[in-house]
Amino acid sequence: MSAKAKSRRAFLIQSAGTLNAAWIAAHYHDILAAQQYASKSEGGAPPKLAFFTAEQAAEIEAMADQIIPTDDTPGAREARCLYFIDRALTTFEKKRQPVYTQGLLDLQAKTKELFPNAGKFSALTSDQQIKVLTEIEKTPFFNLVRMHTVIGFFARPENGGNHDKVGWQLIGYDGSLNHKAPFGYYDAEYLKMSANRGGKI
Amino acid sequence: MKQYRPSAEVDFVIIGSGAAGGIMAKELSTAGFSVVVLEQGGWGKFGREQEYNKDEWLQRNLSDDDRLMSNPQTQRNTFRKNDKEKAVAGNHSYGCVVGGGTVTYGSSSWRHLPYEFREASYDQTIPSGTGMADWPITYEELEPYYTKAEWEMGISGLRVNSPFVAPMSKDYPVPPMPLKSSGALMKTAASKLGLTVVPGPLAIISQPYMGRQACVNCGICSGYGCQVKARSSSAVTVLPVAVKTGRCEIRVKSYVREISVDSSGRATGVVYFDAQKREVRQKAKNVILSANGTESARLLLLSKSARFPDGLANSNGVVGKYVMFGNGASASALFEHPLNEYKGVISGAGIVDYVPSDPKRGFYGGGRMTARGYLTPLELGLNGLSPGSPRWGAAYKKALREEANHRMTITCFVTQLPLETNRVDLDPDVKDEWGLPAMRITSSAHPDDVKNMEFFRQKSIEVLEAAGAKKVWAPKVSESHGGAHNRGSCRMGNDPKTSVVDKFHKAHDVPNLFIVDGSNLVTGGRNHPTLTIQALAFRAAEHIIRDAKNGTHRNSA
Repeated sequence: MSAKAKSRRAFLIQSAGTLNAAWIAAHYHDILAAQQYASKSEGGAPPKLAFFTAEQAAEIEAMADQIIPTDDTPGAREARCLYFIDRALTTFEKKRQPVYTQGLLDLQAKTKELFPNAGKFSALTSDQQIKVLTEIEKTPFFNLVRMHTVIGFFARPENGGNHDKVGWQLIGYDGSLNHKAPFGYYDAEYLKMSANRGGKI
Repeated sequence: MKQYRPSAEVDFVIIGSGAAGGIMAKELSTAGFSVVVLEQGGWGKFGREQEYNKDEWLQRNLSDDDRLMSNPQTQRNTFRKNDKEKAVAGNHSYGCVVGGGTVTYGSSSWRHLPYEFREASYDQTIPSGTGMADWPITYEELEPYYTKAEWEMGISGLRVNSPFVAPMSKDYPVPPMPLKSSGALMKTAASKLGLTVVPGPLAIISQPYMGRQACVNCGICSGYGCQVKARSSSAVTVLPVAVKTGRCEIRVKSYVREISVDSSGRATGVVYFDAQKREVRQKAKNVILSANGTESARLLLLSKSARFPDGLANSNGVVGKYVMFGNGASASALFEHPLNEYKGVISGAGIVDYVPSDPKRGFYGGGRMTARGYLTPLELGLNGLSPGSPRWGAAYKKALREEANHRMTITCFVTQLPLETNRVDLDPDVKDEWGLPAMRITSSAHPDDVKNMEFFRQKSIEVLEAAGAKKVWAPKVSESHGGAHNRGSCRMGNDPKTSVVDKFHKAHDVPNLFIVDGSNLVTGGRNHPTLTIQALAFRAAEHIIRDAKNGTHRNSA
């Protein structure tokens, strides 16, 4: 384990240590999984999937990739949303497994319907994928994948996902829990202005 | 912590440990009385507040042990607009932990204005046929207790001289929290429109106070427990003092199902379910009911007896009536530069010019406009973009980047007319997890309330435009169906025929039952009830202690 991985692991254990015993008992496996996930992901090798087969994973990752695409900044792929979703489905979102299992079958069917010569959704071109997703964007399956992708992108990294805080970087959120005024552009401007007037606010 | 045997009669049993219950516990125990506080929620992180999580994903998935709010799945309630409808499952939820709603609230701590205690007589804009009534006390009578609450709890703010803000006899103990960008923009607009902006008084300390450290502006604020104890909740102020006296026991997971009375009509104690749903009978010389503006009424209605067949303290049928939940209006906008509203308290500045009702508007109503705008990363990502924004894809990502940190919201807290038909009672069909009749809420806004909400919606748009917004939007106004600002279901008054408690919070029907919480509010103010509840509690405690020491309430202590 690299030094960085060690410190990350220590951080995870430490953050788990601030939770109460009942919560740890209830979510012991989630925490272990998060730790395992984090330590494995440090080396660059992808973490092991617990719910999806490799084939299913490619489909879900392709979907997530269209929901928050990678352009000049990282997207769902870099945030490792797939791994957040995978872990969610084996832990606190276990009851949603059937939505994914059936949804993947429907996705396959829709792909075949629109592109009869195509194989898998993930093998389509980006434009073709968008076409398929636009057709299913009102389904419970799509909405669930969207919700899980967004959560995987923006939740605190300790929960898995938001790898290297790429989600937060996109929206300029730093995750710090200690800030000092001025906070933003307009309050800073206001303070400057009132200082020029002799400090009278 | 002191422990009492339930069979041993204590001086006071207090139902609820929130804004009012916490204060009652402290005042009564420090005055030398034996006190048992029954809290239906858990401990939260009482005494180990640094363990409160700041993780919004965890906060959405709390275990039953870690919940800070009531759970409508088990603490079931139903809702209907009027008596003709059949009530359906409701989502009324409120603070439910040691410290009650003060553990997680936005912490606004406005006083009611002097005229808000006598609007029925004073305000010519009030339509006929409503339940508006004068309070049995004046602002001047309550003023010393507002000051006491501000200093004992720790309220930050700026004392201002304005016709739109209640006059104060003393400054706040600590200065206001720093101005945020939303507040600065509000000031820009206000100077153009000739409006008055004041820093919001908050139960969040801006400087170290009474052994607690100042707020660190973490930004994960309303809805979360405070890790540094800067939020002046009952759990970090009055309750630890009560426990320290050695005379106060707090029992958590204690779900009261009845206030018991003897044949003479005096309260003898309470019956509650403990964490294992076993019935426990706690004997007490006096009962203090501080369960909140809805649950207090429900518990009285549950406490039926031969002497009180329609519920305790309800010989006049007023219990549960005139309940108010808190209407609002809001508008949001995007600005050119980053506001970074994710830093600091949820709400700072407020525009106060529209607090009074004005005959020129053609309806009764007033309110406060508050500057805010923070969306957590998850809130922003899941459904926080401006209307019409894409939900996925490259355009969604672009909108996330552009709108994050560039948004502010004006949230208005407005009047609500108390109506006799708006009430809390017992659902005839639905039972809660303990097998008791669920709370049923019947509520519809008066037409003036709707006009008032629309007025504030328009004013919010006007202010945001004057502040230089790039894009403004405002959701349609809608009435509240429940929630933490519940008030008014056990109103105080001098006339036992039209009110539930007297001006010192004693139930008209029961000499040793005191109801002290938001249920006593005769009128709703501008929907910022907590400081008034706290002031009332300090005042009530003083009178109850005086009478108890004089033996009026048959106390041995």
